Amino acid sequence: METQNSKSPTEKTNVLNTIRNSINKVLNLIRNYFSEVPLLGWFIGTLTAVSLEQLVGRLIALSLGLPKIPVLFGFVTILKHPYLIPSTILYMLVIYILPIVSIARLTVPITNWLAGKLLVLPIFISVIIHLGLLYLIMHLWSGISDYRVLMLRFILIAVIATLSLNVVNGYMGEFSCSHPGFMALGAYGASICTVVLFVDDSMFGPALLPPAIGPFMFPIALIVGGCLASVGAFLVAIPSFRTRGDYLAIVSLAFTFIVKSLIENLEIIGGARGLSSQPNWANLPSIFICAVACVWIINNFVRSTLGKALNAVRDDELAANVMTVNTRRTKMTAFLFAAFWAGVAGGLLAHVLRYVNPGTFGIQKLAEVLAMVYFGGLNSIQGSILGAIGFNILSEALRPLAIYKWIIIPSMLILIMIFRPTGLLAFKEFDVKKIISPKQKQKKEVQNVIASN
Amino acid sequence: MKALKIILIGTLILLIGVTAVFAGGKKEVDVITIGVNAPLTGDIPKVGEGTKFAAQMWLEDINEAGGIEVGGKKYKVELVIEDNESKAESAVKVNTKLITEDEVLVIVGPQASKQAVPSGEVANNYETPMVSPWSTNPKTTKNRPYVFRGCFLDPFQGPVVANFIKEEFGFTKAAVLYDVASDYPKGLAEFFKAAWEDLYGPGSVVAYESFTTGDADFSAQLTKIIRSGAEFFFSPQYYNEVALIVQQAHQLGWDRPIVGSDSWGSAETVELCGKDCYGLFFSTHYAAAGARGATKEFIDRYNAKHGYVPDDVAALTWDVMHIVEEAIKSCAELTGDLKKDRKSVRDAIAKIKEFDGITGKMTFTEDGDPIKCAVIVRISDAGEFEFYKSVCP
Repeated sequence: METQNSKSPTEKTNVLNTIRNSINKVLNLIRNYFSEVPLLGWFIGTLTAVSLEQLVGRLIALSLGLPKIPVLFGFVTILKHPYLIPSTILYMLVIYILPIVSIARLTVPITNWLAGKLLVLPIFISVIIHLGLLYLIMHLWSGISDYRVLMLRFILIAVIATLSLNVVNGYMGEFSCSHPGFMALGAYGASICTVVLFVDDSMFGPALLPPAIGPFMFPIALIVGGCLASVGAFLVAIPSFRTRGDYLAIVSLAFTFIVKSLIENLEIIGGARGLSSQPNWANLPSIFICAVACVWIINNFVRSTLGKALNAVRDDELAANVMTVNTRRTKMTAFLFAAFWAGVAGGLLAHVLRYVNPGTFGIQKLAEVLAMVYFGGLNSIQGSILGAIGFNILSEALRPLAIYKWIIIPSMLILIMIFRPTGLLAFKEFDVKKIISPKQKQKKEVQNVIASN
Repeated sequence: MKALKIILIGTLILLIGVTAVFAGGKKEVDVITIGVNAPLTGDIPKVGEGTKFAAQMWLEDINEAGGIEVGGKKYKVELVIEDNESKAESAVKVNTKLITEDEVLVIVGPQASKQAVPSGEVANNYETPMVSPWSTNPKTTKNRPYVFRGCFLDPFQGPVVANFIKEEFGFTKAAVLYDVASDYPKGLAEFFKAAWEDLYGPGSVVAYESFTTGDADFSAQLTKIIRSGAEFFFSPQYYNEVALIVQQAHQLGWDRPIVGSDSWGSAETVELCGKDCYGLFFSTHYAAAGARGATKEFIDRYNAKHGYVPDDVAALTWDVMHIVEEAIKSCAELTGDLKKDRKSVRDAIAKIKEFDGITGKMTFTEDGDPIKCAVIVRISDAGEFEFYKSVCP
């Protein structure tokens, strides 16, 4: 390393280039090595890893000198006790990386065969099987600690909120700042439904319906919250769609403040003191179902004709109009649709916290959701999912750093904006069939196709 | 390729070696872990700082004494201070983490009600005692046997201020200026209004003006208050707004008293407000200037270490840490079974009678709220918070 300084600039770039090349080489090697593993293989590998953790995680953690199982991939422990870094890395290797990698790789023939068989079935059955596996993984992983359960719940809610904002900011290409407002409307709408109907509360009096049927009515409460958010979106859409770009951002920002002030001044729903005693119905399965429904519906929406029209409006509104796209209707539908899902996210959040106050839905929330969207990537479902998961885990992992966290996360965002201005996974299509299909270039299949022709 | 393999194997061996070295240092068993859920970043970092410093000072004392003695056995104490970013979600996450991961015996915090209300739910569900030093929202402790607080409530403070003004000045016409968007000022403004109207009948609050968090210009509201003929006005605001309100009132020609509440008690108030605030009164938990005994000792130590006079949050946190200490000490024994130990600590806190803290004597009610005295403080001409009188329930 010391000799580098004495070298001439060309030599330096040469060294850098060789380093870069060798890194690329290694990465390509890894990529090629795993290119044939289908999603099913990864799932089975992860499932083995989390089951392994359930069975012997504690034993291995203790024998490695860790106080207990590293709860969030060790981030939380290593920042406070740096001397535990080697044990944590070893733990991650033994419990997660080795089993996942080896099983995913070793089962390639079986999983590809299985995935191919599943593809013969109607697509929704194989999707449900995959989702079932995914849920099983989450269930086992979070079985270790309630902290993990809570994290997963918040992450899944963040996924919904991020996706819904991506519809407006990514697919529609506008810059909307009204999402906290929609979430607040959804949170209050859903909370009022559940608290008035099913809870004996000091604010609204006794329950109107027997609490036993409550959990079944929870989806309806969420939908009511979502619809309330849509109504709010409608109100903001009428005046604001005469404007574009910066002006829409300002109008929608104003909307967020209006909603906040409105709730603060509505004594009947608690005002600034907030609304509490929501029933505890937003558990992991129900949030998981909501998140899956959200991904599925939004993905179908953006891949439909309307979604394509939305992209056309984003790229050039005038041209889209000329090409017979009803731009006004398209924008309106997308905006209300996005608001609905933001409302659902708000409703779920209220039932996880079991307390809402208008202060939660301010500028800070807006910054958070925007950061997740732009971190993950515009105009892509995977991007939003990645953004929500990444941002949440990062912000949880860096919590022990307190104030430095707010230097690290924003600088990462700046770096991402410089090197990937549209986010990490932008402009990707979320093709479910492609994702779950077998990854091996199967000669047999090709032959079958030829034969059947 | 060969180099890669060598590097990989080398790292692995190194890892195992280092782990083996550290795995030897086993964790001690006889440790009491106490969680602190504080807003170290976010809207009110000064509050988080006071909490952290007070808790750390307490820990120093405990370490000097060699730990806490329970049932004839000395336990070492470990503090886990976590940042809740002044957000409700984060406070809930932090509480869950403290309870399930760090396996704390008891939680101190969060301070602000918007975090304390949802966090209290978590603590109560997991049957872990939690004491919030500063949260004034009744919902924090209501119907939650495991949740306590270290401060008096707004329904008590409102009448304290009203009665003090009646006795001290004999005024009959009051005005109120408060932040409608913030839970604490709004609640207190309402309780004060009710108390004042109890004394002088409806209509005696001649101006009841509000603004929204983040406002910096109060001239419209202040003009109304001046025109209304009020003899004084009450403004239960936080330190950053207090300075603006008082200065703007004086610029508009207001020369009558302005009265505040415990949220004025921050070290920053006088710094921002300057001479304009001299001579004003507010109700609070304790008075720093002219303090005696244990209170003075705490203030001097804090000042020497951190360079400023501690505000009420630090003092309340200090008291709460000692309440927790006393509760743990009064347990017959710690079994090592967390669920049982948490229960016995909870029972011990509920049983505390006449605890002699630096913010006054405390006895907990059934709801987990303390019965304690309020202090009326005058900001002296040197900018210090001077004890004026004490008002007990």
